[in-house]
Amino acid sequence: MRISLLVATLAFAVSAQAQIPGLRGLDPGKLLDFGKKVTEASKEFSQEEEIQLGNGLAAGLLGAAPLHKNEQLQRYVNRVGRWIAAHSERADLPWSFGVIENETINAFAMPGGTVMISFGLLKRLQSESELAGVLGHEIAHVVQKHQLKAIQSGAWGDVATAVGTEVVDQRLARTGAAGQVVRMSGLGQKGVELLTNGFLLKPLDRSLEYEADRMGIVLAARAGYDPYGFVGVLQMLAQVKETDEGGILATHPSAAERIAELEKFVPALEKYAGQTVEARFRNTVK
Amino acid sequence: MRFRTVFIAAILALGAGFAAAQEQAFTNRSTELKDKATADARTLATLPENTGVKVLQRSGAWTRVEATGQSGFVRAFHLRFPASVEASSGSSGGSLLGGLFGQSKPKQATMATTGIRGLSAEDFKNANPDTAALARMQSYRVDNASAERFAREAKLASVSINYLMEEATSSRGRR
Repeated sequence: MRISLLVATLAFAVSAQAQIPGLRGLDPGKLLDFGKKVTEASKEFSQEEEIQLGNGLAAGLLGAAPLHKNEQLQRYVNRVGRWIAAHSERADLPWSFGVIENETINAFAMPGGTVMISFGLLKRLQSESELAGVLGHEIAHVVQKHQLKAIQSGAWGDVATAVGTEVVDQRLARTGAAGQVVRMSGLGQKGVELLTNGFLLKPLDRSLEYEADRMGIVLAARAGYDPYGFVGVLQMLAQVKETDEGGILATHPSAAERIAELEKFVPALEKYAGQTVEARFRNTVK
Repeated sequence: MRFRTVFIAAILALGAGFAAAQEQAFTNRSTELKDKATADARTLATLPENTGVKVLQRSGAWTRVEATGQSGFVRAFHLRFPASVEASSGSSGGSLLGGLFGQSKPKQATMATTGIRGLSAEDFKNANPDTAALARMQSYRVDNASAERFAREAKLASVSINYLMEEATSSRGRR
């Protein structure tokens, strides 16, 4: 709405240029160009563009914290995650789940279907249904495009300048990485930039977190998991005194508040309780 | 003998570096201690609000606890878990259960949370994108068929459930 008004204003300025002496110096082509960019910033991303942006964020995160070396663990988390995502409205995304080797207690959702969980969080869980709760929450963020919308809102700069999904060699200009060449699309680079600018350290609106809590529990339950798994995760989080900038409590409502919200809904799902799947979890997460 | 088992369990928990079982919790309202994990099970005791319990296992809608010398089950939502380190963060004042936190005396100031080397803003700022690690991560992707086999192995069956509606969430704040 705001954008079409701006475009209209620009169009008027361009057409009026001939009559108004003060505007003579302006290049109508440039003005139109600017209008086009603003429009593009708010355009709907294609799925491929969304994926490329998420890939950049994920590659950046993996530069901050390494991928956990246990391949069996990585495949296990992918199976749990894929099974839950298959019960969502975006089952066709190329879902990819990764465990990062870091003591922080957190999980991250990237546009396009990439979800990362820290080993610090994973090792504090007690069952597959608790893992399902965490992954369900992150999958819900992706399904609802919460992160993508935050990026598109404009607060994170002009995404329209980062166009292109074609993967090419890009020379990093940033200080500290000058000269490093990575194969990445323009949107991938934008993802990296978002990461280094602290995108994952900034909270989403609280209402979006509550929405992801509710949706995530339903997604896990649709996949057959005990919906109380996520309640157990929050009870574990309630006991954590965290000072870590990259931790879950820095960007989410308090665990006690989230539990209180969930008590309004989850008891209605009690008939689906029971499948906590503990043995397989314990055998894999060590 | 029992002491030894507990001792070994404690060592194992320490070794693993996280607090698994034996968590301390409090009832957040008056609630019943049941002998089985169902509402119609026999009531072993009525626990008043703020009764300290030892959590033996968090599992589903009911949590197995030890309270007043007996073990049984209480509803998961009827427990609150105090932060295990005394110093409370500024944000706890805004907690819905904030008022209840005052009198708790959490005893295990714990191994789990002190000295966590997590992620800092600096780590993010200095991150160089690792496309090789991304490719490795994506090589662990699985397809739907493989995920379904994996689910069947644990007897996980798909259920049709609608999303939980938002209206109920905000009703308290608005009215």
